[in-house]
Amino acid sequence: MPSSQLSLESLVLSHIPQARQNDALKNELILHCTDILNSRIGQATETDLGHLSELVKRHLAQTRPDGVSSLQFTNLLSRLLDQPVLARKPDCLLFLHALASSSRPQAARSSFLPSLAPPPPMRTAPNLLPTASVPSPKPKGKSKADILREYRIRSEDLLLRDTLYLLQGISGKYIQFSGVNNDEQSMQLVFIEDNVRLSALNKDEVSSGFKGHIIPAPTKALIHRLSEVGHLYTLVDTYVQEQERKPGIGMIEQSLCHHLQSQLTEYYRLIAVLESQMATSLKPSTADSPTNVMNDDSDIRLAESGLTLKRLDVWVNDWRLRMRMMSVCVKAARDMHGGALVNLIHSYAENGDPFVRRFTDQLLEEVSKPFFETLHKWLFSGELHDPYTEFFVAVDPELAHVQYIHPSGGFGQLSGDGGFGGLAGDNDDLSGERESGLRLWEGKYQFQKEMLPTFVGEGFGRKIFSTGKSLNFIRYSCHDTDWIATREKLNTTGDTLQYSDISGLERSIDAAYRIASQRLFDVFFEKFRLLDHLQALKNYLFLGHGDFAEQLMEALGPNLSRPANALYRHNLTATLETAIRSSNAQNDPPDVLRRLDARMLEYTHGEIGWDVFTLEYKVDAPIDTVLDPEAMIKYLKLFNHLWKIKRIESALTKSWMRVVSGTRVFIHLPELEHEWHQIRLVVAEMIHFIRQMEAYCQLDVIECSWKSLLDFIHEKEGDLDALIGAHRSYLDRMVRKILLISSKTGREETMLNQVRDAFTTILQFRDAADNFYNYCLTESARRDAERDDQRVSVPLTDQFLGGRYNLSARELQTTDTDLNITQGNPKQDQVLRDLPDR
Amino acid sequence: MPREIVTVQIGQCGNQMGSVFWQRLCAEHGINREGILEEWAIEGGDRKDVFFYQADDEHYIPRSILVDLEPRVINNILASPFANLYNPENIFLSKDGGGAGNNWAQGYSAGERLYEDIMEMVDREAEGSDSLEGFMLMHSIAGGTGSGLGSFLLERLNDKFPKKLIQTYSVFPNAQEGDVVVQPYNALLTLKRLTNHADSVVVLDNGALARINADRLHIQTPSFDQTNQLVATVMAASTQTLRYPGYMNNDLVGIIASLIPTPRCHFLMTSYTPFTSDQPDKAKPNRMVSTSASKTACYVSILNIIQGDVDPTDVHQSLLRIRERQLANFIPWGPASIQVALTRRSPYMVTNHRVSGLMLANHTSVASLFKRILDQFDRLRKRNAFLEQYKKEKMFENGLEEFDDARATAEELLKEYKASITHCHSCQGAVESEHTD
Repeated sequence: MPSSQLSLESLVLSHIPQARQNDALKNELILHCTDILNSRIGQATETDLGHLSELVKRHLAQTRPDGVSSLQFTNLLSRLLDQPVLARKPDCLLFLHALASSSRPQAARSSFLPSLAPPPPMRTAPNLLPTASVPSPKPKGKSKADILREYRIRSEDLLLRDTLYLLQGISGKYIQFSGVNNDEQSMQLVFIEDNVRLSALNKDEVSSGFKGHIIPAPTKALIHRLSEVGHLYTLVDTYVQEQERKPGIGMIEQSLCHHLQSQLTEYYRLIAVLESQMATSLKPSTADSPTNVMNDDSDIRLAESGLTLKRLDVWVNDWRLRMRMMSVCVKAARDMHGGALVNLIHSYAENGDPFVRRFTDQLLEEVSKPFFETLHKWLFSGELHDPYTEFFVAVDPELAHVQYIHPSGGFGQLSGDGGFGGLAGDNDDLSGERESGLRLWEGKYQFQKEMLPTFVGEGFGRKIFSTGKSLNFIRYSCHDTDWIATREKLNTTGDTLQYSDISGLERSIDAAYRIASQRLFDVFFEKFRLLDHLQALKNYLFLGHGDFAEQLMEALGPNLSRPANALYRHNLTATLETAIRSSNAQNDPPDVLRRLDARMLEYTHGEIGWDVFTLEYKVDAPIDTVLDPEAMIKYLKLFNHLWKIKRIESALTKSWMRVVSGTRVFIHLPELEHEWHQIRLVVAEMIHFIRQMEAYCQLDVIECSWKSLLDFIHEKEGDLDALIGAHRSYLDRMVRKILLISSKTGREETMLNQVRDAFTTILQFRDAADNFYNYCLTESARRDAERDDQRVSVPLTDQFLGGRYNLSARELQTTDTDLNITQGNPKQDQVLRDLPDR
Repeated sequence: MPREIVTVQIGQCGNQMGSVFWQRLCAEHGINREGILEEWAIEGGDRKDVFFYQADDEHYIPRSILVDLEPRVINNILASPFANLYNPENIFLSKDGGGAGNNWAQGYSAGERLYEDIMEMVDREAEGSDSLEGFMLMHSIAGGTGSGLGSFLLERLNDKFPKKLIQTYSVFPNAQEGDVVVQPYNALLTLKRLTNHADSVVVLDNGALARINADRLHIQTPSFDQTNQLVATVMAASTQTLRYPGYMNNDLVGIIASLIPTPRCHFLMTSYTPFTSDQPDKAKPNRMVSTSASKTACYVSILNIIQGDVDPTDVHQSLLRIRERQLANFIPWGPASIQVALTRRSPYMVTNHRVSGLMLANHTSVASLFKRILDQFDRLRKRNAFLEQYKKEKMFENGLEEFDDARATAEELLKEYKASITHCHSCQGAVESEHTD
């Protein structure tokens, strides 16, 4: 036992350096080892060499069924039995067998922690595998070759040390990096000869001596290969260092750095292990072995566990790939940012190599964490928390802090405002504030496609964008008191988002999108009564409240015939109020009526009230997101046209009362009956025209468009953008159809102008007919009086009168027949107008 | 400032029609039989003040004047649950209570006698209105009171309110000989006033109404009340746009102006259909007038009032179809097409039809009705039958020129309708004026 005690001691000392100083620890460890040995060996049955060899052969037959290896094993075994040196040959065999049968799980573990467990095959290989390149470690005295080998090993030790430095990006004693701090691409490797320096011309073509000995080219190539890892390491490390020092780098970069850093730590651990391995392999020779008793043993150990450049290469091989990946990321990260960076990394994830894929996945998982955090905030609370502008939603810095000031503080106050009276006062404030609604919605946040991670997909990206925008809008622009409820609803759906669960992510996005859009619709339609406002616009500006429009027309008519500058706004508003009071409009909610206003457009000299009068419906935030100023202008335009049509209609109805109803009663001029007949026919034609026009506008255009808008609204699908779009197309359709906009460029308003000309002609005709009527009235009255006075008196020169008017009436007829096609001939109109005055 | 309409219901038929009409309006506006707005009638959007005015005590009172020369019908009304609805001051009953004995002349002269009393009521109603739009007369033209007193009132109203519209709902006699033998006399004499003094006459035909009852409602011997239900439905529908304002047709003059291009061709036919399908052109309308349409007969104008939940795009499609297939035959001398007014339906009326429609049409075939009256008149007149009763009255004491005059008016009316079928209607006037000279 003493010899085993001694070797145990040396074993403990060599493996645990602390034990050299600490005797108690040493004794304890030795005791422990002895216990292990005793217990193991004590239980071991008497080893039967034959049985053992059978076991091994069976094992070999299982693993390699070709039979060659078992043959080789028999061969080797017989050679082993011939060896006189080893005393406990069956034990050795048992040990090797135990190693061989337990090697697989160990190998599996080494793939997880590649740097910690030296793979056992390296030790067993020389003995078990005949293909092992290392010659049988049985020095039988020192031959020349042995000396050379020894020498080589010695020199390789030095190179190894340097190589380990190189792996950490540090120049070694004999091999150095040159131009480290300059251009990284052209970094070179310099092999340094003893006292003589031969700088390399090329990274790959370096020849130099080493301690007078030439480093063989294969070794150089090997070192080159190894130094690549070191080089890449330098790149990565520099990047990490730089990023850490740089202020204000993005979160995604930060997490990338973190991931790189942890990878590097792994790398350091590997190097540390390698270094310790090298240390053990060097120890016997460098320490010059005070306990040189087991020289043979240490030689064996050296050959088996020692680090060679080749082994190093194997060790590092795995890391080479990793370093390459990392360095690529690093290189890209210099000019990429945020989502784009994630994108880039993601593009590597589509790789056939499982190693690359796994690495990238890990990296992405790590790197996308801040992205998902931002996404979570954006998606579920509508907040853009993106201090380093990495997210694919960007905020317009100008609008970032624009908040709506609600017109009068709260909504309840609004509806209690009680109508129209208070309008004039806050009028200016309203219009001043107007510009932002739609702009805020459309401009505050921007979608940045290039920053969108590709694993999200653009469709979903848009959805995310819209969801966050909606939430943000609800939150800040709508003063939604139920915000908390919304958020709670969202929270139930909002699980943690992460890269590995893309389908879950999509589900969450869909849910959030649905809830947010729904909420936005609810807010708009229930809280801000958007439908009421749309209805009001239709009722007032499109004259849907017919009785109101007629009241207004009747009350304003006489005023509007006056020059524009003779109109006073307070008169208009007073009339408007009267019209509201006396029509069904009074039943509308006060909040609607409050917004209604009558005013004049800007007028130029010579225009009359009809040209400049307009009704106006005021909207404020956040309704003006949908009813933006541009839309309101369209509404006003449409009102203007419809109002004109209404005016013509009312003028014609009055005219009809005269020419159809009135003439029957008052006028008894039989000789003019034919003229009247003609006038009536023309009036009928005009009435028909204007009513068809009106019916077309109201029924075919407004009602049909309105219906499709309502259909959209009731479906409640899509987001605010869709709503804005639906309203816009509703309005555009009406503008196009009511104003008879032609698709021909340059002639858009030809038709409209024709219609307007027709209106003018109708009004001229009305005036002419009125004058004719008045003339006939006086003439009729005169004749009646004459008849009453003296029935004997000579009757009026009927012939003369009749002839004269027959002529003019024919002119009148020609004027009227082409009324609908072109505007009336001014000359003929002139004739018409002058006619009764003669 | 509504455009008020004052209704005047004259005679047995007129009052019966009126009674049902007011019941219908009350139901549509959610007004109970006492004139109080029902508590559940909170849905706005209607204009009650066209036909009702509100007394100080929140009562809604019809702007209606009830006139009859015999007490039976009005007493029935006053005994009905709706007795308290009417303003008692607006009910005029002749003191002698003898009626007009189916004699136009008797009714007319009664009018002369009672002019002051009746006009006082009319004046009061007119003054009670902010902007009176016109009068609505309900009567039949076959009997004595409705035709005679009605004719008189038409003349006077037109004279006194020349700038107000007068629309009548006139029930024309059966195609067959009615129960009144002198009915052709009465009808023709009234027709003259309808032609000269009314702005628009909605022609209702007892025969056609009975047929609708039989064919559609499967009532073989309809009571007056059932027939009047039909009339009330039509009247309510034709005033629907006034009471439920929309884009257009919110005043009576607007409706009439679009339908009547020339002053005398103002006899409107109505068809009403509760249809369930969405295509107005496929529905079978029930004409309220039986006329014999000739091939050349054509529409002067059409206004369709469609009530209820109708899809504007469907209406649009239907109109296009009618236009393409030329299903409606229009006058050749002027532009004409179907006008459509969509209007809301009373939210308080429960019907099993989603949509219902009324067609107001100015159709030249209405002349055949006049022709029939004229023929019947000629047959009686040739024999100088039953003229004694007329000669008793002051108007005919000095001769029967009035008969001839009325006949001439009807003849002219016929001519004018005939002329409007042809292309040369526009030049017809000249010929006509030569004739009248």
